[in-house]
Amino acid sequence: MNSIYAFVVGPLAWIAWGVFIFGSLYKVVSMYQLAKAKDGSSLHYMSFKYGMRSILHWLNPVGTLGWQSNPYTALVTFVFHLCLVIVPLFLMGHVVLWDQFFGITWPTLPDTIADIMSIVFVACCVYFGLRRFLQRDVRFLTTGKDWIALAIPALTFLFGVLAYHQIGNDKVMLVLHILCGEIMLISIPFSRLSHMLFGFFTRAYMGSEFGGVRHSKDW
Amino acid sequence: MTFDRKIEDAGLTRGVSRLTPQRIEDTLRQVLEGETGAKLKLYAETCMRCGMCSEACHYYMSHDGDPSYSPAGKVHQTMGEILRKDCKVTPEFVYQMAQIAYTECNLCRRCVHYCPLGIDTGYIMSTVRRMCHKLGVTPQYIQDTAHSHAATMNQMWLKDDEWMDTLQWQEDEARDEMPNLRIPLDKEGAEIYYSVIAPEPKFRTQLIYQAAFIMNEAGVDFTMPTSPGWDNSDMCMFSGDFEMMGRLKKIHFESALDLKVKKIVMGECGHAFRSIYDQGNRWDGWDMYPIEVVHSVEFFWELFEAGKIKLREKFHEPITIHDPCNIIRGRGLMEQSRKLAHALCDNVVEMHPNLEHNYCCAAGGGVINCGPPFKNVRMKGNRIKAEQLKATGVKTILAPCHNCHGGLEDLVHYYELGMDIKFFGDLIYDLMEKPEVE
Amino acid sequence: MLKRVFTIAAVAACVFLYMIPAFCQDEISFLKDPAFVHPTRPAAVFAHDEHNEKAGIEDCAACHHVWEDGKLVEGESSEDEKCSSCHQIKPESGKTGLRNAYHKLCSNCHIEEDKGPVTCAGCHPNGGAAPSGH
Ligand code: HEM
Ligand code: HEM
Ligand code: SF4
Ligand code: SF4
Ligand code: SF4
Repeated sequence: MNSIYAFVVGPLAWIAWGVFIFGSLYKVVSMYQLAKAKDGSSLHYMSFKYGMRSILHWLNPVGTLGWQSNPYTALVTFVFHLCLVIVPLFLMGHVVLWDQFFGITWPTLPDTIADIMSIVFVACCVYFGLRRFLQRDVRFLTTGKDWIALAIPALTFLFGVLAYHQIGNDKVMLVLHILCGEIMLISIPFSRLSHMLFGFFTRAYMGSEFGGVRHSKDW
Repeated sequence: MTFDRKIEDAGLTRGVSRLTPQRIEDTLRQVLEGETGAKLKLYAETCMRCGMCSEACHYYMSHDGDPSYSPAGKVHQTMGEILRKDCKVTPEFVYQMAQIAYTECNLCRRCVHYCPLGIDTGYIMSTVRRMCHKLGVTPQYIQDTAHSHAATMNQMWLKDDEWMDTLQWQEDEARDEMPNLRIPLDKEGAEIYYSVIAPEPKFRTQLIYQAAFIMNEAGVDFTMPTSPGWDNSDMCMFSGDFEMMGRLKKIHFESALDLKVKKIVMGECGHAFRSIYDQGNRWDGWDMYPIEVVHSVEFFWELFEAGKIKLREKFHEPITIHDPCNIIRGRGLMEQSRKLAHALCDNVVEMHPNLEHNYCCAAGGGVINCGPPFKNVRMKGNRIKAEQLKATGVKTILAPCHNCHGGLEDLVHYYELGMDIKFFGDLIYDLMEKPEVE
Repeated sequence: MLKRVFTIAAVAACVFLYMIPAFCQDEISFLKDPAFVHPTRPAAVFAHDEHNEKAGIEDCAACHHVWEDGKLVEGESSEDEKCSSCHQIKPESGKTGLRNAYHKLCSNCHIEEDKGPVTCAGCHPNGGAAPSGH
């Protein structure tokens, strides 16, 4: 089992990070090339000012018509993404590994807080899952890809929580956790999760069109 | 996925009967690979299927939350299916996608205010229409206007002499009221080039009359062109015939440039405005229009501000104002439209939601131009607008857009709202000081 | 050569024997280093003698090493000192911090030997020991 652990924290982690970083770079660069080749009449209108204006408005969970009309989903979406970004970056268990492998450290969240955030995250996933299942319009739109995009982060956090709480065999849980985390990294450039890379661009583009061309707000 | 609301349309039926699986696949692929790029790819990939946009759409709201009418739901049933099936779809599917794209989306972009990721459903539906156009599967009525555009450069099969005659006829009529009134034709170097959509000379000649009257009274140096290019409308933009859209805009701008005028003023029309600042100009490779273009709402307000229009009295009855997507959400004219409305009326009652967030009339995006077969799609699909209008409790609606007029009129009848609909031109003409005539 | 190795081993053995009473005074079952003023996890379980017997570690320097100028000093050991006397909580750059010293020493060997715990929970089980320093 230790050799499996060594494999997932060693070579496989390198692969996962490599695919994530280079895959993302490839995706972003190739998308930009494609946009330059094919979408000149859109790219031309990109504006930093209006793009940022739109992004900032949409970062306010009560600042847009969309968020206001879906207050619960807005809340869950914000909590979900905040946990998703903050927990893995500032989790002690993770920083310890960075320290161990590369001798670098940075401040960490208290375990209890990280743990609560992780459990809340899993609860958010349950909310999204139920929504996909029960809400008619969302159900109508849902495809396998959407379940996959939801399941990967959900399982990563779930196994993380189980490992932390020492439920089940510690090595099995941690290896599963790391595997899911790595699958998540690998799938970011190639699945729905790629909205992490592109979401800000599509937002900024819409903001540019509405601000620069349509002289109105897009929120 | 079952589609249980098929509506018979001669154009769609004929178009579909000529399709083969191979032709469908080739055409769809040609549009996808030849005409779309990162934008469509990103929209298809980044849409999280979260359904936040559902409530944006008047069709969804009016059909009690039927998911197949939500913006993302319509994409799911059209472009989504094409991408999932890798362009291998049946003729029957093409019929459905045409019906959805042409008649169940007004390209009004209200859903943009709801989508956290900035997905432009209007663009996607427009691209679906482009595919349908290339497959020759278009609703008969709108295709007829597109044919007219191609044959005559105007939307209503007007011959050049009929257009000129109409202008002179209106000049004649108006002289009963203002003996010196002129509609200067093809006047080089005029300040303003006044352009209208072809339905004005065809059905709503009083609008030309009123505009001429207002501009004469305000002492505006204007002209109206007699050669093709005078019609600023653009149904080809909505039918998916972008090549024609480009030709229409080009000839419109060029006829104004030929006359060396300072700027174009457009009549109270929404879609024609969209085609000069958003779509037609881009097809022709212009960042914006090559000659300044001003919408009537802005123009009238400028005249007011300069004190060139004086009112006899204001409109006293309460009145509500509809914000046409193509000039408000599309071009930010809410400030001018409000100032103008308040300058003209004592009691402006806002409808809710309003301004950028206003519900579309369900006529726009070429939907009303798909004609009688689809009238009920608009009526049943916009109950929410009728409710919104009714809630204002007023009897008059101001709507500075032709399509909106048509759409709202139909809604008012269908839902028995008993409301009257006016253009700004109507109000100004009615309320302004007029010279004494013996 | 052989002679030298022998003397070193003999010295090491003497030191080891000399140290035995020190260990016996207080049998080690947890790694509670008071240098960790506010530890976040329960102290790691570590029954020193049992561990070394099981693992067959005879050489103290296997863990209680001595480094000088970035090199491991062969034949010297440091079992008379606390880990924290060299490894600081906040190490100078390039030096190994105290937490990392423990983590690396244990888990690297466990991985190499494919034995023993490697996860957080494996060493810091809940209720394993009260966090030290409290
Ligand atoms: C950092 C940039 C990111 C932005 C701006 C962003 C934005 C969004 C938005 C706007 C939604 C849709 C809102 C909703 O469903 O209520 C969404 C959903 C989602 N995001 Fe992100 N996201 C980001 C990063 C990520 C990452 C890194 C992941 C996972 C690896 C992720 C996973 C998800 C999932 C699974 C959903 C779908 C929830 C559902 O099933 O409805 N996001 N994201
Ligand atoms: C390279 C891959 C990863 C490795 C090696 C790794 C390693 C670890 C370790 C060692 C722990 C500590 C378990 C414990 O405290 O007992 C942990 C916990 C956790 N990790 Fe990861 N992880 C990885 C990827 C991720 C990713 C990508 C995420 C999320 C985006 C994530 C989220 C979490 C969470 C939520 C916990 C549990 C926190 C808690 O309940 O206290 N991990 N991980
Ligand atoms: S009609 Fe308007 S709100 Fe509805 S899908 Fe089309 S663009 Fe969006
Ligand atoms: S279009 Fe936007 S709001 Fe609608 S489902 Fe997709 S991501 Fe969500
Ligand atoms: S007709 Fe009017 S309300 Fe309707 S889409 Fe056009 S501008 Fe919008």
